[in-house]
Amino acid sequence: MKEFDDFNFSVYKYTKELTRECVGGSDLQQRKNEIEAYNETTAATLKQTCKNNYMEFIQTAKEISHLESEMYQLSHILIEQRNILAIMTDGKTASRLKADSVEAESSTAVDDVQNSHATRAVKEMVQGFNGNLEGKTFLNEGALIELDANDYRPIQRVFFFLFNDVLIVCKVKHDKRLDFLKEYDPKKIAVINIKDLDGVKNAINIITPDGSKIYQSITAAGKSEWIEKLEEAFRFDQQKKTKKGQAPQPPTRAKQQSSKSSSPEKIISTPSVQSPPEPKSLENETPEWLSTASEEIQTLVAQRHFEDAQDLIKRTQEYVKGENRKKVPQAESIESKVKQQELKLINVLLKELSKSNRNLQIALRAAQRPLKILVEMGRYRQASASLLKVCAVSLRVSQREARRNNADISELFFCDLTQVACDYLTAFEQQPACVSALVVWCNAELQYFASQLIKHYLTKGTTLETVAKCVERVRKPSTKLTEIGLDISYHMEGLLRTTLESLIEDSKERLLDSVGRSEESWQPYNLQTKSHLKRLLLELDVLGIDVRAQATGDTWINLTQSTVVFIRHFLQLIEHCGGLAKCETLLQKLDLLLKELFIAHHSQKPPSDMAVDPNFVMKNKIFLVDNLLPIAIDKFRQISGRQCEILRELHTNMSRQHGAPLPRQRSVYTTDVF
Amino acid sequence: MSKKPTVGPALHKVIMVGSGGVGKSALTLQFMYDEFVEDYEPTKADSYRKKVVLDGEEVQIDILDTAGQEDYAAIRDNYFRSGEGFLCVFSITDDESFQATQEFREQILRVKNDESIPFLLVGNKCDLNDKRKVPLSECQLRAQQWAVPYVETSAKTRENVDKVFFDLMREIRSRKTEDSKATSGRAKDRCKKRRLKCTLL
Repeated sequence: MKEFDDFNFSVYKYTKELTRECVGGSDLQQRKNEIEAYNETTAATLKQTCKNNYMEFIQTAKEISHLESEMYQLSHILIEQRNILAIMTDGKTASRLKADSVEAESSTAVDDVQNSHATRAVKEMVQGFNGNLEGKTFLNEGALIELDANDYRPIQRVFFFLFNDVLIVCKVKHDKRLDFLKEYDPKKIAVINIKDLDGVKNAINIITPDGSKIYQSITAAGKSEWIEKLEEAFRFDQQKKTKKGQAPQPPTRAKQQSSKSSSPEKIISTPSVQSPPEPKSLENETPEWLSTASEEIQTLVAQRHFEDAQDLIKRTQEYVKGENRKKVPQAESIESKVKQQELKLINVLLKELSKSNRNLQIALRAAQRPLKILVEMGRYRQASASLLKVCAVSLRVSQREARRNNADISELFFCDLTQVACDYLTAFEQQPACVSALVVWCNAELQYFASQLIKHYLTKGTTLETVAKCVERVRKPSTKLTEIGLDISYHMEGLLRTTLESLIEDSKERLLDSVGRSEESWQPYNLQTKSHLKRLLLELDVLGIDVRAQATGDTWINLTQSTVVFIRHFLQLIEHCGGLAKCETLLQKLDLLLKELFIAHHSQKPPSDMAVDPNFVMKNKIFLVDNLLPIAIDKFRQISGRQCEILRELHTNMSRQHGAPLPRQRSVYTTDVF
Repeated sequence: MSKKPTVGPALHKVIMVGSGGVGKSALTLQFMYDEFVEDYEPTKADSYRKKVVLDGEEVQIDILDTAGQEDYAAIRDNYFRSGEGFLCVFSITDDESFQATQEFREQILRVKNDESIPFLLVGNKCDLNDKRKVPLSECQLRAQQWAVPYVETSAKTRENVDKVFFDLMREIRSRKTEDSKATSGRAKDRCKKRRLKCTLL
């Protein structure tokens, strides 16, 4: 039958030949059948080829669309990242009332406007500056405080204008006008970020050709902005207008994402080779979507359409489990395959979820999506464990960072804790069992936080004042957590208790040690000038005690100097102790400290060889017992909301003692004062 | 409530130098806060200050943690000028960082114009001894050539971290007392004297 393929094949010729060759009708009939059969097979082959080609075309088209959607996904992620960065820069600059500078960065047109605006501002506002600013790019401006390099005291307020190749430093005068001080080339100055300097916050060190200078910014954001902008000026020629910090970040993130999204593809590429042939054989009995479900799920996971993948898994499982089961001969194999895909999806989601991020907000936001799906799939235990692990990392990182930047870590910690708890509770609303995991986690974080607090803030030798402030800062936000149903204050107190007790013990020793150190002349206190006296009286008023009755003459107080100093000191101490005593466990120790300190001071006696008026000595003591002590007791109760029994007892004992030997003195003062 | 250390304790200015990623910041943070920071974030220029007790005397140390990255090389001169002592750090797992110390040393000598400036050669990451790329003998040889001490540290395990800072502070201190003793006319030959003492040590 090769003739058919010949190019010069002619039907007429062929038929003629055929009839000549054949003998009789039956032979001819047989030939006809043969040709017909050949015709049929050819048609079938043709159809087959056609179909194959078509299938291949479809496959390729599908692949292209997958790649397309993957690219779309990537660009979407990039946009999202950019938005987050933009929000972050927005927040940073908004506080400095310079929202327009952000816009300026985005368009050159606005840039030019700002350049000329800043140039004009410099010309108009700065006295004594004659430099040419044409054609320079404006980068930043703002007020800073110049500090003394030795004792970090503020020297003067300055205002900086930063252009691409000049930094103009002006002094801010009292009438808010600017006086030109100096200009520097940003390429010749070195900027140092001062991270830790005896509690001086937000300071930078600028090394200029004429020495190193310390400048302080009002906000932490302002400081980091200056560091960034000064560096931008430093490298201006190298990279023209490309923005710093923002540019390098997204690509690395995108790389992560792309490697992430490509890895599941690798996983699925192996099973997808073996799966197609089987479903094909039962195409007739099984619905099309069911037979391809497992591959479809793989594709969806690779494309990061996790929700759709989950939907399909659910639909397949329901279909197979339902009454259709009998109709599907390969139900079991499909079921197991889908099950496999489900596990894979869970793994991918968990991996997605446990991607740690330094920033808690971003971490929580990124976790939302995988979390939701995992919860719907019933994997809430694994999900909650991964989420909490991620949160712990970012929580600790941010605490460490805050501490290094001298920020308040207590507030940060409790804010973060609240945020995690809120997000967690909304995510696992339907699973009350998970709440216990949150509680356990909170306790662990609390322990870490307390250990950090003890290690860095409540070190040995810390004064009671600092301790009281620190504890107050912890207590306030921790009680607020009850609003969301978390009561951790008690646990917190427990964690800090031993440290606080030893600190109290410590300061007690120190305070008792210092009693009697100062020279006491047992003479009335002369304040030299009227205004000094007035100031002292006001100061004591603020502390809650009125000693006007003791003021005599223009400048005298009819008490010894050390008594006055003790009154002030004791009342200040009452404030700190009262604050600490809001927790009952510490009450007794504090009470004891106050009592012992009071007794120590009260029992001071003039040396035997000193000529003093015994009545005056007594008068001081009586003042302490009758005036200071009741006020102190009252103040303590007001601040702490608790009674200090030991002090009250002391008061009753002591007033009884005084009553006997010097009845006259006492009566005088009771009538005078009360 | 700013503190006023008008006549405060002596201040010793230490500068950390070395290539990027060798662990300068990790050493600094370990010394300052007793903690090891795993995450890497290139430094630009950070300064820290801490009160420490050096041989019974309270002093302040000022640590300037500089950028190792090459793109900051131009600005280094400015930083180096303020330093009184240098910790030149490299990673024992990275030969390139070791080779780079030569360059740092030269730059410091050029800027400070002083052969005997307090200086320690520090091989960091000694907890990763199994990944060592720079043989100990080579490190010691270089230290000998420069007449400076060589110490291996680990910011991770805190090994020798305090030692390098305290050793350097001692050098700075003895250097300062020497300077204050020396009259202005004798300033020139102090380098030689110092050199002698160093080799003896």
